This record gives sequence, structure tokens and C-alpha cells, in this order.
Amino acid sequence: MTTNPCLAVAFSLCLVAPFPPLAAVAATPEPTADQVKFFEEKVRPILADNCYKCHGSDKQKGSLRLDLREAMLAGGESGPVIVPGKPHESSLVDAVKWQTLEMPPTGKLSESQVATLTEWIRIGAPMPKDHGGGSGVSVRKTRGVITDEDRQWWAFQPIHAAGVPTAANAISQSHTPIDAFLLARMQAEGLSPAPEADRRTLIRRLTFDLVGLPPTLDDVDDFQADERPDAYERLTDRLLASPHHGEHWARHWLDLVRYAESDGYKQDAYRPEAWRYRDYVIRSLNADKPYSRFILEQLAGDEACGNDPDALIATMYLRLGIYEYNQRDVRNQWSIILNDLTDVTSDVMLGMGMSCARCHDHKFDPILQKDYYRLQAYFAPLLWRENVPATRPEELTEYQRQLVVWQEATTDVRQQLAAIEDPIRQSTMRTTRVKFTDDLLEMLAKSPAERTPLESQLAYLVEYQVTDGEGKADVGTKLKGEKKIEWQTLKDELAKFDHLKPQPVAFIPSVTDVGPIAPEVTIPGRRDQEVIEPGPLTVLENLPAGTKLGPGAIHEGVSGDSPGAGLLPASASSATTGRRTALAEWIASPENPLPSRVLANRIWQQHFGRGLAESPSDFGRLGQPPSHPELLDWLAAELLGNDWSIKRLHRLIVTSAAYRQASQGAEVTASATADPANKWLARMNVRRLAAEQIRDGAAVVGGELDQQVGGKSNDWKKSARRAVYLQVLRNDVEPTLEVFDAPDGIFTTPIRNVTTTPTQSLFMINGPWTMQRAKAFAQRVSNDSSLTLEQRVAFAYGLAFGRPPTSEETSEALRFIQTNAAKSDDAVVDLCHVLLNSNEFLYVD
Amino acid sequence: MFPSNYLSRRQMLASAGTGFGAIALSSLLAKQPLLAASESLIRQPHHPPRAKSVIFLFMEGGPSHIDTFDPKPELEKYAGQPLPSSFKPVILAMGEKNPPLLASKREWAQYGEGGLWVSDWLPHMAQRADDLCVVRSLYSDGLNHSGGVCQMNTGSILAGRPSLGAWVNYGLGTENDSLPAFVVMEDNPGKVVNGPRNWGAGFMPAVYQGTPFEAGEEPIKHLATPKDVSDERQRRKLAYLDELNRQHAAARREQSELEARIASYELAFRMQAEAPEAVDLSQETQETRDLYGLDQKETASFGRMCLLARRMVERGVRFVQLYSGSGSKWDAHSGLEKNHTDNCRSVDQPSAALLFDLKRRGLLQDTLVIWGGEFGRTPMSEKGDGRDHNPYGYTMVLAGGGVRGGRTVGSTDELGLHAVEDRLHTHDFHATILRLLGLDNMQLTYLHKNRPERPTLNEGAPCEKIING
Repeated sequence: MTTNPCLAVAFSLCLVAPFPPLAAVAATPEPTADQVKFFEEKVRPILADNCYKCHGSDKQKGSLRLDLREAMLAGGESGPVIVPGKPHESSLVDAVKWQTLEMPPTGKLSESQVATLTEWIRIGAPMPKDHGGGSGVSVRKTRGVITDEDRQWWAFQPIHAAGVPTAANAISQSHTPIDAFLLARMQAEGLSPAPEADRRTLIRRLTFDLVGLPPTLDDVDDFQADERPDAYERLTDRLLASPHHGEHWARHWLDLVRYAESDGYKQDAYRPEAWRYRDYVIRSLNADKPYSRFILEQLAGDEACGNDPDALIATMYLRLGIYEYNQRDVRNQWSIILNDLTDVTSDVMLGMGMSCARCHDHKFDPILQKDYYRLQAYFAPLLWRENVPATRPEELTEYQRQLVVWQEATTDVRQQLAAIEDPIRQSTMRTTRVKFTDDLLEMLAKSPAERTPLESQLAYLVEYQVTDGEGKADVGTKLKGEKKIEWQTLKDELAKFDHLKPQPVAFIPSVTDVGPIAPEVTIPGRRDQEVIEPGPLTVLENLPAGTKLGPGAIHEGVSGDSPGAGLLPASASSATTGRRTALAEWIASPENPLPSRVLANRIWQQHFGRGLAESPSDFGRLGQPPSHPELLDWLAAELLGNDWSIKRLHRLIVTSAAYRQASQGAEVTASATADPANKWLARMNVRRLAAEQIRDGAAVVGGELDQQVGGKSNDWKKSARRAVYLQVLRNDVEPTLEVFDAPDGIFTTPIRNVTTTPTQSLFMINGPWTMQRAKAFAQRVSNDSSLTLEQRVAFAYGLAFGRPPTSEETSEALRFIQTNAAKSDDAVVDLCHVLLNSNEFLYVD
Repeated sequence: MFPSNYLSRRQMLASAGTGFGAIALSSLLAKQPLLAASESLIRQPHHPPRAKSVIFLFMEGGPSHIDTFDPKPELEKYAGQPLPSSFKPVILAMGEKNPPLLASKREWAQYGEGGLWVSDWLPHMAQRADDLCVVRSLYSDGLNHSGGVCQMNTGSILAGRPSLGAWVNYGLGTENDSLPAFVVMEDNPGKVVNGPRNWGAGFMPAVYQGTPFEAGEEPIKHLATPKDVSDERQRRKLAYLDELNRQHAAARREQSELEARIASYELAFRMQAEAPEAVDLSQETQETRDLYGLDQKETASFGRMCLLARRMVERGVRFVQLYSGSGSKWDAHSGLEKNHTDNCRSVDQPSAALLFDLKRRGLLQDTLVIWGGEFGRTPMSEKGDGRDHNPYGYTMVLAGGGVRGGRTVGSTDELGLHAVEDRLHTHDFHATILRLLGLDNMQLTYLHKNRPERPTLNEGAPCEKIING
């Protein structure tokens, strides 16, 4: 074949020894070592050199792939290609002899190669199982269709809210139904739960978990002194009601949607309005906005939520991806943008990794290539919009009224400025515009009405580069001499009217649809060019309970003669397809078995450190099934039964006995030995703080943290605000966050890495950041000059660890300070620095 | 021997107290990722390796292949005319309309036993011709610097994937647990396009990412004890920290990461002692300094980096990447002559010196040296005397690592626009590099979101002609 000659090398294996006689057997599931050797050294090189390019992992011409035994048995469009043990019935043999099909088409195999293949089929076509890189999951045997077996996968089953287990001893020890599920399983595994942790441990754990900060000394004292039976529940409610709760939990969502405040790519331009989306997430979580509403606003806030400014801000979800300001190939740029949205949405909201299906049917899960483009079709009509006012109508009116005042006062000076600036701007824009290929310039030249929907989208991307990207002229740098002086004078003159400017309101990047008619979506590279309509995953099409999901079923009564038949025109004022509204409603419909499980699992994951299902963004067959499927369904049903209330779920989980268990000490030894991974949760997990918790926590300890809620992001080099409020630049991540594994905002991150590296140790022990925190910490400890050194040590321990030191710890600390070579103030700094470096500070029990 | 704010190795080991011997420090690098990476961590090569280390000399911005290693006599003939219609048209990054072809102003000659063509811009490299395998048929997908640099480093024009050095680090581990396995240096303060993501670990744990290195007292960030903290103070702090952490861990024996963090401080101290020695060029002879051009203004910066690279691979560093012209300085959209004259002068002698020095020390056979950028440049002119980006066909040069020199592999068309013969996508190129290190690009997998990810995105294959030709 005319493959890259370089392809050959992978399989240029030489034969080293004659093979022992091979027994002729029919289908052998486990090939012997000799058979594997025969296959790998003689058969696979033939297949790889001659067949895999068209019938391998990347391409499957005629729906056939020849790199997997199951796939050969299943065959392609012309049926099975091998019959193990029967070469004369195997169409593969006919094809390579050029008797039926002429394969490979570029040249006949040699006789010895044909003989090898024939022999291989004769002995039963033994082939080692492909492990897909270690997953051990076998590849789907069918192509292009969904089988009953596919539909049996746990994640596609309706939510089954089983009764809470009622084993007698479970009831007696349980605080909540959650514990009943867990205890039932523990009993089966011969485990007993750990006792409740002490109060100091509980309040530190719960405070870090619900608001992301350490408890204050007063908090700890109050909780310890609170003798009411529901003291813990009261603490939970107080923390859930704190404005800081949303700040911490927003970060989990922001990880998922790859939130950042810059473009990525070379220029990595800052996005000055992006913070509004972050604040929206914080507000939504604090307000316990139903999750169904939360995703509706993000997917379709422009068309489904009236003129709610918050919902409009939410649509910035659709604008969070990376963007290249000077990409001439805007066709490809647009498909990258749409692919990115499709991938993130399926991962985050459906918990199904669909990106594999962009190029082929998913190899392991029943996700067809068509399904990928069905999902993408919801986004295909998108059109970007800039400077969209996201504010209440009365505020906008006031803004516009005052703007007119300012405009009228500055007409002259602005005209004079324009006379200087406009020619420069025009020229820069012209220069950028002509850099695009002729076909794109033709689209630009057309009037908007003449453009097809896709042409309108591409023309927008070109125009956006011309006006807002590369074509944006920095006038000041292009002027020289007198002209520049004149220009500067005019600018100064204009500034004198700044007091007349209106109070700024939010103008944000958002989206709409290109019109009521969507561009046609087809599968790239397919000859048939079949138009793909938006729709649900095929495997979820025929759900039991008689509920048909999908856009067609959601808005009954919508006239069927419009091009997007069955889709709701979003609102009277906008000309959108309604597709995104339909998507949001399909995702959040109670019959959709995925999102409620996915959300419940994510919340569990953040509370316990690991989800009940361990791959939170992939409930497919490459992920592990949940450890406690009944519990997961019960939690999902709780979400569905309570209008998707997330706070309610938090409360259910953190008030369980399981969450309140001790994580260490003698009582956990048995479970640690029997269940080292803690799958059955007979103890709590000890966890390292996340990057933001470390940064914020160290600032709290030193009394430095600026706890202002919401508002513009701040430069991390200067600000003392919480980490969630620091500017997020994709190419320049804040050092503390970077070193402790915060994501970079490129990919969706369902689970953060938790690493332990010498780089972290160097950062903590030698870096200026920790040293500055230690100095502030020491200052705070030493402020009250009436305190004895011993009292200061106790104060420092209390701030850093939420507990007083033991008497041995006190004497060690005193010895450390008193025998320090440095002067005494510095000795206290050293103590504080060590405490911030210590594992007790960095980990939560 | 070292600046006073470094602890000596002996001091550090003393400060670490007893019991550290029990923890193999090198396990810190292997163990923790193992937890994250599950069973797919491979520390043994898949194939017999030819090379143990890589030094990647990255000419950032895109050097012109048709003015350095890929002469095109036809270009002279057609100079001044538009691209003939028989050539498949391309999208130009700067979009100049029908720019005329621009002849190369270079003098060309053949060098070495293999008769390799090299232009007069690289006279020192030409003297190493018989070590060079000039691959003339690269092509890639990135039209802009961002995508191009990203792909040459990570295989994808889109950000977020682990870099090649991270994959090698993951696949082979380190041979020196006092130095990072993957080291990066830049020749000037201009930042490489896309920033540190170019040597990032993407979705893999950060332990695999490249570490920026600089000469001087603090080659690695935060390596030195703060100036106002004496050795004595630092030692006592570390001992106290160790004591606190041990008490804390004693009650939590099942939490192995607590032990790992204790060990990570020990490893940090070890780096603190040994890294300054690794970058201490005062140990080099004047002859060596002259060889690399350390005392000439033009070559001092890249020469120093090349010499450091040699010292790194001597010490077992796995992957060293040196950026020439960081911040797209090779990007000659106009004034090609001046731009490339200067850039070539700054890298030519140091690059050749590196090859010579490695060879005479017996290191070249185990070290694969790579020379090239994210793309080449167009035969068409831009702004009269420059050339635009050319990802459609360009050259990368290999040396050492068991690759036979004195020859070319592949070719571009008559004008040097498209790769035509033995076309080699970036994925194939990466697969070839990996294969030379003994790694199979399809077998080297990392489970991310429970899917096996591969360094070449499930594509590409090693090039037989390069490896065994």
C-alpha cells in the first residue's frame, strides 16, 4: 500500500526461532504464548503494513477494522471476515487472494503472506486481547447500532430509588439514610465504621470543606462549647449560609468548565469581563439555584430566560474556550470552537466522554459518531455577540440617558479625535482584512442577508479579528510629533468630561443564534453528507417509562413547518432556533438518568475525596461502576425530588455519620488494613488541601486575607483576596496555585492531580510567598506584648492547626525559639514558617 | 565551593535526621505518579534504546529551511514570479496576496563524506556534516506560532497536552534524583510562545513537567535559602519541621503521602546541593569555553546553554530543551537576511561545538540532538525581503543517538513549499524520537479520565529511514 514508508518500521520484526507445531483449534479465548508469538511476529506485521491504515483504530473503511479479533469476527458492511478454523469460509482470505474484493487495493500480498494469514485462521485466529492501554475493557463488536446489551449499562438505567436498607444494627448506628447504605456494605465486607472524630477535627474538616477556609479560633471555641444536640447541624447550616461557601464550591465548577480569564494561545489577551461569570457561579451556588436552572442559564440564558441579566452572564459558559486572535483559517477555528463546546458539555453535564466519537463510533461505549454531531448540532447555530448589556432595563436606560449627556458635551472634541484616529483605525483594519483568503473575503463582501448561516458565522469570526483582534489599532503608538501632541491634548480635554460619564454597567461577550435557520451539520469526511439533526444519545432514545427525550418532545404544539421542526423559537424578540433551550431541558429532564447521578457523584467526590463512581466525568465502560450503586441512585433521587437543590445534598452528606468519622487513630487501623483504598468508607480520608485552600489558609492564619465577596478580579502579584478572585491567565498561572496542582483552564478537570514534589518543598521552605505569610503570622502572634512566649506558641498552634499544642510540643517550640541563632522576633517567624510548612497545616483529617 | 546560602550535602543529610535511608528518595518521583497513573507507568523501554538523552535545540519562530539545509536551485529560476499554478496553494499566516518567489541569497556547498548541502549561514554546523541526518520532509498543522510551537512540543496544535519531554520523563524516569529529569533553558528574556505550557505535563502529574534552568546561583526557582536566613537557622528549621511531620505521620501510618512529603524535603535539599555544581561553568577549561564561543558576544548566550546541556546529560538528565530566539525571534517576515544572519551566527558555533564536545566525550552515541523550529519558511517572499510561515514542508536535523549522519531523508518539492517524499508529520517525528529512546509511541500510554492517552494522539509511526537508514 502507499502508506508512509515510515509506518513499516513498527512491525519490522525478525523471526528468531522456528515455531513449535500449533494445534488446530476453534475459537480460543486465551491464546497460548506460542500463538501470541506467532501472531505478533508473523501475522500482525502483515495486517499492520497492509490493512490497518484503512481498517485500524483510526479509520474503519466499510465499517471494518482488522486490529481486533472481536471486530474481525463482527466484520464490517459485508459481514464477518474470518471464521476461526475455517480459512476457506473466511472472506479475508478471498479478499487477499483478490478473488472477491481486491485487498489491499495497492498491490497483492505475496504468496507466503497469504499462506501465513490462512494458517493463522486455520489454527483459530488467535490474537491477544487488546487492552486499550490497560483498561481491560473489550471493544464493542457492533457498529452504527445500539443493542439491548448496550442499554443494560448501569448509567443508562432509570434512577432507581431503592428503599433504604433496614438491617437492624444498621438502623441503630445510623444517623442518616446514607449511613444505612454504607453500613450495609461495610457489614458485607466485615468492616465496622470508625467513631466520630473529635470536635476540633470536625470543625476544621467541615469549614475547609464548605467554605474553603480554616475555622477561626472563636469558631472552634464556640463549637466546642456548644452543648446543644444539634450543634453540628447548626454549624453546617451556618457554613452553608456563608457567602464564602459559594466562593469555595464555585471553584469545583470552574475546574469543570475550564474557567480562565484569558484567551490562551500566543497573545493570551486578558478578558476583562470574564470575572462576571465566576461571580455568577458563586452567586448561584450561594442562592442554591436549582441545578436545572443553573445549566439552562448557561446553555441558553440568552433565549430562555427573558431579560434576566444573570442568565445572560451565564451564557459566557459558551465563550470560555481558548481563542486565537490572528487565525486566518477561520473555518477550522470555528470547528475547533464547536468541538470544544461539545466535548466540555458532554463531559461536564452528561458525564459521558464523547470526544472519541468525533472521529468514529466510540470503541467502548454505545456512543455513535452520529451522537457526537447530534450534540454538536445544538451549538451549531451559535453566533458570538460582543458588548451585550447584561443589566436591568432601568439601569440600562439610565446608562443610556447619561451617555447622551456625556456625548453631547463632548461632540466637538470627539469629532476632532476621530479625525485623527479613524484613518489609522481604518488602515489597520484594512491591513488585517486582506490577510484572509479570497473565499472568506467574498463572504464578507456579501450583505448579511445574502450569507448562508455558516457564512454569517465565518464572516463574524473574520470581522471580529479585524475589529477586536489583530486589527485593533493602538493609536497612541502610531502617532508621532505634532500629531501626537495634538492627539494627547484632545485626549486630556476629553478626560475633563469624565464626571459626566454614566456609571458603568456590564457589557459582556455573549451569544445568540445565527438566525432561526441552523447551518447544516454533517459528519466530516462522510461521503453521504447526511444532515444531522440535534438529538439525544441514541442509547437514551428509547427510555422506559414511555418518555421520549429530545427536542421534539419538549415543546409540543410548536408548529412543525419551521425549518427547525419541533424546536421552540426562543422568545418573540429573538430569532434563535431554540436548540440550546431544548438541550438544557433534555439534560435536566427527570427521565434523563445521567445528570442527577453525575451531579450527586461530583458532590460526594468533593466531600470524601473520591466519587462513589471514581471517574466523575465518565460513566461509560472505561470508568469503574459505582461502589454503592443504590446509594448513588438514592442521592440522585434526592436531587430530583427536591428541585435539584445542591445545598440540601451537601447537608445530607456532611451530616452523615460517615462524613463525621475519624480518619486516624487506633480505631481506623482495622479498616486501613482490610481496605487500604478506603472503598467502603469505614473511616474518613486524610486529604491534602487544594491549592486555593493553602493560599487562602496561610493568609487567614496571618490575618491578611481580604474577604471581599465578588467583583473584578485582582492581579495576583498584589492582591490579598481569596484565590478564586485572582486573575486567571492561561499562560501565567499564579505560582502557589500552579505548584499545588490547580488546573490551567485548558481542559475540563473533573479530578485534580494531587502531587508531592520537591518543587513544592522548595517553594514552601525557600520561596518568598511562604516567608511573607510567616512574617505576618508571627506579627499577629506577637502583637499582644502581654502574652508570654508560651502563650504565643499556643496562639500560633491554634491559628495554624485549630488546636492547642501538647505540653511536649510547647516545650519543643520554646526550645526551638530560645536556642535560635536569630534574634527573638525572627525566631518566632521561623516557628511560624515551620508551622506553615508542616503536614498538619497542609492536610485535613 | 558553593555560595554560602547553600547547604552542603553533608549538612543536609545531618539535618534530615535518622531514618531517611528507609525511603528510597528516587521512589518519590516514581511512587506518587504511580498512584495517579495507575498501572500504565512504564519505566522500562519497549525496545532496545539507541539514545538515553535528548537535547532539543529549538529555533523558535521558524528558521528558513530553504536558506540553511534544503537548497532549491529552481527558486532562483522563478524568483520574482508568483507561485506557479502547478503548486497546491496554501493559506499564508500573513495573507499577502500572490507574493513573488524569493531566491535564496546563500552560497551553498557540499560537506563531509556524505556530501551534505549546507548554506554559508551555518559554517560550523557544516563541519559536523557527517554527524547530521537532515530530515527535509517535515510537515505539521500549525499555521501560527502558537499552534506550531505547541504541536512541536506536545503533538497537538491545541494546548493542554503533555509535552514530549514530559512523556519521556514519564516513560523512562530519571537517572539522577538530584536534578530534574527534564530541563528547559531560554536564551533571552522574551518568553517562548505559549509560555511554560510548552514544557508542561498537561493532564499528567506536574512531576513530569520541564523545569526552567538558569545559570548562576539559583538555577532552579526557590533553590537557594533566602539571603537573610543563615545556614544554621535553615538547618534548625528543617530539623524542627522534620520532627513535627514525623509526629504527625506517626498517628497516620496508612497515609503514605505524608511520608512522601517528608522525603520531598530531603530531595529538595539534595537538589539544593547538587544543582549549583551542575551549572558551575568555572569547572570548564578555556579550550571548552572557546569551543562554545562563551567569550564572544554573539555566541555567549546560546553557547552557555549548549555547554550546560552537555553537563546536564553527563549527569543523567533525560531531556534538555534549549530555545534560541525565545519569543519568535527567528520569525523573519521581513528582512530575512539580517534576521537569519544574526540568529544563525548566535547558534551555529555553539550547536556545532555541542556535537563535537559530546562526541569527543563519548556521549553523542547516547544523546540524540535535535535542531529546528516549529516550521520552516515559504519560498514566496513577504514584504519583499522576508518569508512567511511554512508548516507544509520544512527541515529538522538530527544528530547522535545512533542516527547515521552525513545524509538527508525525504524532500520538499522543487521550490521547498510542500514536503513530497517520505513525508513526516510531527507525530511521525515524535514517534521516531521516542523509538530512538526505546519507547513505542502506541504502547506508551497514560490513563486520563480513564482513557489511554498516547504521546502522538494515537497517530504517527517511527520513520524507518531515520532509524535504520
